[in-house]
Amino acid sequence: MDLLVLDKVTKTFEGIEANKEVSITVREHEIVGLIGPNGAGKTTLFSCISGSKPPTSGKVFFRGEDITGTRPDVVCKKGIARTFQIVKTFAGMTVLENVMIGALNNTGSPRVAREQALEVLNFTGLYPKRDLEAGQITLVDKKRVELARALATRPQLLMLDEVCAGLHPNERGEAVLLIEKIREQGYTVFIIEHVMDVLMPISDRIVVLNYGAKIAEGTPEEVAGNPLVRKAYLGERYGEKYSAIR
Amino acid sequence: MPQTDSTVRTRPISLPRLLKGKNLGVVLAILFFAAYPLVITSPFYVQIIIRVFVYAIAAQAWNIIGGYAGQVSLCQAVFFGMGAFTSAYLMVHYDIIPWIGLIAGAILSMVLAVIIGFPTFRLVGRYFAIATMGLGEIAQIIVLNTSLLGGAVGIWLPVLPDSFKYMQFHKSKLPYYYIAFVIAIATYAAVAWLEKSKIGYYLRAIKADQQAAESLGIDSRKYKLIAFMISAAITGIIGGFYANYVLVVDPFSVLPRSFSSMLLLMSVIGGVGTLWGPLYGAAIVMPLTELTRGFLGAGGRGLDVMIYAILIIIIILFEPQGIQGVIKRVKVRLAR
Repeated sequence: MDLLVLDKVTKTFEGIEANKEVSITVREHEIVGLIGPNGAGKTTLFSCISGSKPPTSGKVFFRGEDITGTRPDVVCKKGIARTFQIVKTFAGMTVLENVMIGALNNTGSPRVAREQALEVLNFTGLYPKRDLEAGQITLVDKKRVELARALATRPQLLMLDEVCAGLHPNERGEAVLLIEKIREQGYTVFIIEHVMDVLMPISDRIVVLNYGAKIAEGTPEEVAGNPLVRKAYLGERYGEKYSAIR
Repeated sequence: MPQTDSTVRTRPISLPRLLKGKNLGVVLAILFFAAYPLVITSPFYVQIIIRVFVYAIAAQAWNIIGGYAGQVSLCQAVFFGMGAFTSAYLMVHYDIIPWIGLIAGAILSMVLAVIIGFPTFRLVGRYFAIATMGLGEIAQIIVLNTSLLGGAVGIWLPVLPDSFKYMQFHKSKLPYYYIAFVIAIATYAAVAWLEKSKIGYYLRAIKADQQAAESLGIDSRKYKLIAFMISAAITGIIGGFYANYVLVVDPFSVLPRSFSSMLLLMSVIGGVGTLWGPLYGAAIVMPLTELTRGFLGAGGRGLDVMIYAILIIIIILFEPQGIQGVIKRVKVRLAR
């Protein structure tokens, strides 16, 4: 089933086209990767979907319903949760309280939210750090809190914006494991990533953006082999290396 | 540092437990304030604590919107004035008893909060503060020029024989003291509950990061409006009480900008976004004002403001969490 459908989404900022007629479909239980060079319009596209920056033209459908330009909190209530590239953990609150805020999306009772949050903390491996102040933890943990918080809202579609950016290669491995665990739980994941080693092994399909427009779409192999993509983003050498590994 | 055990606690309530730790402080504070006017009978000192209550309540109301939700409102005087004028006007023109006047004032303050909040909550951070500050000024000017409300003279309430019904007591200040005391307890109990409720969590999330809060399903404008309405209602009630306590309401005494900033000052000194901060702030600032005026008279005018300035500088430099932060530090030290 088509969970998310983008139909010719365009977003312009004072004449500059950040997204040009981007059409993407994300099906249920898929992991779809979104890659592209810096400034390709990946985060802008996420913002068009989540409602924080409504598209200039084009439509966004979620479960067949037109959600174009819907407010972010309403989009979340419909079942789409996102994380932010630049972490936005709630400083001054504990890790547990951060995740509770997400869980309060499903319940009016902080007590129930607390129980749900503890489950999510267990799942994401943050349980031992639940009482730490969220402003004081490491970047890896902050990214994990963002993810846990989004998961706690019980979304149908999880949109992850560069969860691995700024992480040490060792830490990336853990992040990949976590994303796979999330997929096993039946979530659909739409993920922006800069680090190719993260995206290639876990994605079912990859969409490539360049200068705001979609230039390629396909399996990781197809995308890595695509000359346009190599030229725009990966570089000739990475494409060779990747096909060699496979 | 781990603070609380994460398992859900549902222990039965028992007297010894009620008197432990945090609760002990609350019980002692209630006993202290309940006994205070019985021991210290000088009207001057009783009057100071009545003013502490009035400000502790209004500062707590500010704390809901300014502290927990992080929206620095500088038009709290408008709600205070709304409460005061509503109660006085209804009493003088329609002979409606003050108790109903207080409720009417609270409701009208809430309506006003929606009217002010709906457009201004589009503004973020300091722009919201500036907008509300401007609205406060406009409100004062409007009332000054409204003959219905007595213009600059204001409304003088009739002096009636002592009665609980008309909230007038001339033989002793004690009834006023205890009425304010009860309103204070109710306010702090309500905020203690609010802090632990879904609304409390959501307000803190909006303060910490509005965009992240919205992405997690929080309708930020709705929750800010709720906080503003609760804040306005409490301020309106205590404004109504104040009118019946001093028996005169004029735009200079109940609608000044200094009132709004005083509430902010008290919360900052006591600890912004904490339950007890506004009380600590009011308990320090109010007596300071009264005592410098009482002992130095007109010559001491301005001295209190200078002391506040020094306090604010010290707090900004050393303890942004105010007195609440200092207490926390001491507790951590003692626990070691």
